[in-house]
Amino acid sequence: MSVIVGAVLLVVAVILFILQPMLSGRRASLHREMDEPTEAESRWRVALLALRDVEYDHATGKLDEADYHALRRELAAEALTALERVDSEATAGPGGAPPALEDEIARLRSGLRSGTTCASCGSGNDGGSSFCAYCGAPLRAAAGGPSPHGSPSGPGPA
Amino acid sequence: MNVLGELALWIALPVALLGTVLGFVAGRHQKGDLQLGAERSVYAVFGLTILAAAGIISNFLNDRFEYLYTASYSNRELDVFYKVAGLWSGQRGSLLFWLLFLMLFSSICVWTNRNKNREFMPYVVGVLCAIASFFLIVLLFADVNPYEKLGFTPANGQGLNPQLQSYWMTIHPPMLYLGFTSFTVPFAFAIAALVSGRLDSRWINVTRRWILLSWFFLAIGIVLGMRWAYEELGWGGYWFWDPVENASLLPWLSATAFLHSIQIQESRGMLRVWNMFLVILTFTLTIFATFLTRSGLIESVHSFAQELKIAYIFLAFMFTIGASGVVLILWRLPKLKSDNQIESFLSRESAFLFNNLMLLGVLFSVLWGTLFPLISEGLTGEKISVGPPFFNRVNIPIGLVLLALTGIGPVIAWRRASKQNIKKNFTVPVGVGLAVAGGLFAIGVRHGFALATFGISSFVMAVIVIEFFKGTRARARIENENLAVAFVHLIARNRRRWGGYVVHAGVVTIFSGIAGSSFNVNIRQTLEPGESAVIPSPFGHEYKLTYEGMSTTSATASNSNNNLAFQLVALLRVEKDGKQLPTLTTEKRGYIAQDQPTTEVGIRSSFLEDLYVILSDVADLRSAIMNEPDAQTATFTFMVNPLVGWIWYGAMMVALGGLIGLWPTVSGAPARAPALASARASKPVPVGAAGD
Repeated sequence: MSVIVGAVLLVVAVILFILQPMLSGRRASLHREMDEPTEAESRWRVALLALRDVEYDHATGKLDEADYHALRRELAAEALTALERVDSEATAGPGGAPPALEDEIARLRSGLRSGTTCASCGSGNDGGSSFCAYCGAPLRAAAGGPSPHGSPSGPGPA
Repeated sequence: MNVLGELALWIALPVALLGTVLGFVAGRHQKGDLQLGAERSVYAVFGLTILAAAGIISNFLNDRFEYLYTASYSNRELDVFYKVAGLWSGQRGSLLFWLLFLMLFSSICVWTNRNKNREFMPYVVGVLCAIASFFLIVLLFADVNPYEKLGFTPANGQGLNPQLQSYWMTIHPPMLYLGFTSFTVPFAFAIAALVSGRLDSRWINVTRRWILLSWFFLAIGIVLGMRWAYEELGWGGYWFWDPVENASLLPWLSATAFLHSIQIQESRGMLRVWNMFLVILTFTLTIFATFLTRSGLIESVHSFAQELKIAYIFLAFMFTIGASGVVLILWRLPKLKSDNQIESFLSRESAFLFNNLMLLGVLFSVLWGTLFPLISEGLTGEKISVGPPFFNRVNIPIGLVLLALTGIGPVIAWRRASKQNIKKNFTVPVGVGLAVAGGLFAIGVRHGFALATFGISSFVMAVIVIEFFKGTRARARIENENLAVAFVHLIARNRRRWGGYVVHAGVVTIFSGIAGSSFNVNIRQTLEPGESAVIPSPFGHEYKLTYEGMSTTSATASNSNNNLAFQLVALLRVEKDGKQLPTLTTEKRGYIAQDQPTTEVGIRSSFLEDLYVILSDVADLRSAIMNEPDAQTATFTFMVNPLVGWIWYGAMMVALGGLIGLWPTVSGAPARAPALASARASKPVPVGAAGD
């Protein structure tokens, strides 16, 4: 008798355990976590390790000078390409920013440079204006100076 | 308890099937709730399998002989230890044992990946549950249910084969099963990568660690089996190219090949199709191993009539795995192909490729040698045996080439190596190898393979020692550390490479230990009490063994084993070059419910050789058991096995190297700024700057 009760309890427990997510809406993630390396990051890491191996092989006399320099150049170029890919992924953000937003950002930046976007409230103004029509702050062309909203992110010019 | 255990298996099957469906649907339609359900199915099947296993153990502990399995492998007198181990004593229980470990690793995989590799996990879980379903189908429908009842209750069980009543029996199968079952996880990830189309380097990292773990367990399991055979089977040997042994070696060979070729994929993006093939092959070989040893196919093709069902189910499963693997790889072929090529014949990539070819060569020859008798007997009815002569003849030369490669690989650089530098780096090691071989030849060693093995082994050891020395010195100079610290950091910062070198040193030691068997001494002599035998050792000294006499220990006075009927112990005094050494004993043992007595050997191990004594024959066993004074004539086989201990020491080094490779590193992307700045400024990156 107790066996039958035990058996029924077991079956019910297992069914509930498995079906509970579908009933309650709990989900397991199916997307890459933020701290997991992307393909570009893995490639960059591999490139760095290859560089280290080349250094080691040269230091222990397995590579002669000509081969060593040639390989270092090759691998450094690969590493830089990989790193650039990593950085462009980072700027784009996870999954890449939607195009409309990027256009908007580009528009604001060019506006700040030419002086038609107000640095205080961000509204667009007509070219040639001296004061913002919405908040009254003086309009300044950003040529030659950093924009008040901070420098654009990403690899700066060398 | 046992009723619940039996029921648990029946519940587990639909749950596993459900998990399979949920996993694949979750992956296809990106449904997180189904995925969570699938992951829970894995845990549920694990829990149910634990219940089922506990039920079997309870059957043994409570002497429930109404169950066929318990009655076949236990009796009332059996030691508690072996009753618990009864779970894996026989075919039925061992299938359940396999499933238990399978679910253990599946649960570990799901748990450790609950926040990682999320794009793969639906398919991983689907595959794991599918494999679990297969084993449950076998257990429940192939007439191998460990809960099958006899229909009556015998008064006592048949007991356990005395050769299994050794503590080796409790560690060797579990260790092997840990190795076999853990290969399921990398297979699941490979299939997940193929199905999801994510064939970049990420699945490689996960798979590599798991395969290293499986490889590690399997290597230990195989060596434990060798040690067991050496101690218990009493022939002085440790490997017989027996089908069961071969079955365990095959996946280990392909896993070793994979661990090497994967480095080419990581550094050059090449061989992706090959690596996929290796993972699928390795897993298929583990199923093949179970098939071969558990389907009864080995005993005789004709005697497995009652095992037909299970053999067919296994064959169907292996065919499904193979076919799915091929189809998936063909489907994803465009994504898997790489543009890169091997740049130079003189490169580490080329050495690794060659290593793969050699390992697969051994694999296929062992596979052929194992299958050919079975196929032939199935087709022609004639029993052919393919034994050690075939295997040794084919594998020893390939083994020597592999041995040489373990020394060549480290000396050659990645991508391309310069000829002058290779010449420079090879001079000392080759010189050492030639010196050792030449020296041995000079002192009278003429055995070709032994000379070759010792010569090449010395060459490889020289390479490894020089590598460690040069690496430590280079690091000490660049990082400004003292030699001891540099040594530790060198290994810690690149565990894979240096762990690999330690493994190679171990392999070389094992090969040398095996080569020692070319010089085995084997003398058979009949002695009366007081008489001596003189056994020469190949190392020049002499053993004198004096037979003192035999006596019987009664069953109740013996140690923990309650199944012992008698224990007839022969005592020998040992002298080495006149110096007294501890005595050796060798025995004949009789067990209740077993017809034939077994022999226990006496072994005296030292670093260079083993003195191995077997009580081969007793002139009048009956009287000897009664302790009659004139029945003491005994025939002994005396053996000296040179260097056999090196096999076990080498195995420990292999295990150590594996542990170094497995040791978790502090993961995370290496620091950007210093490496980038130095790459741009063309300054050398410090050796060991980035973690591995």
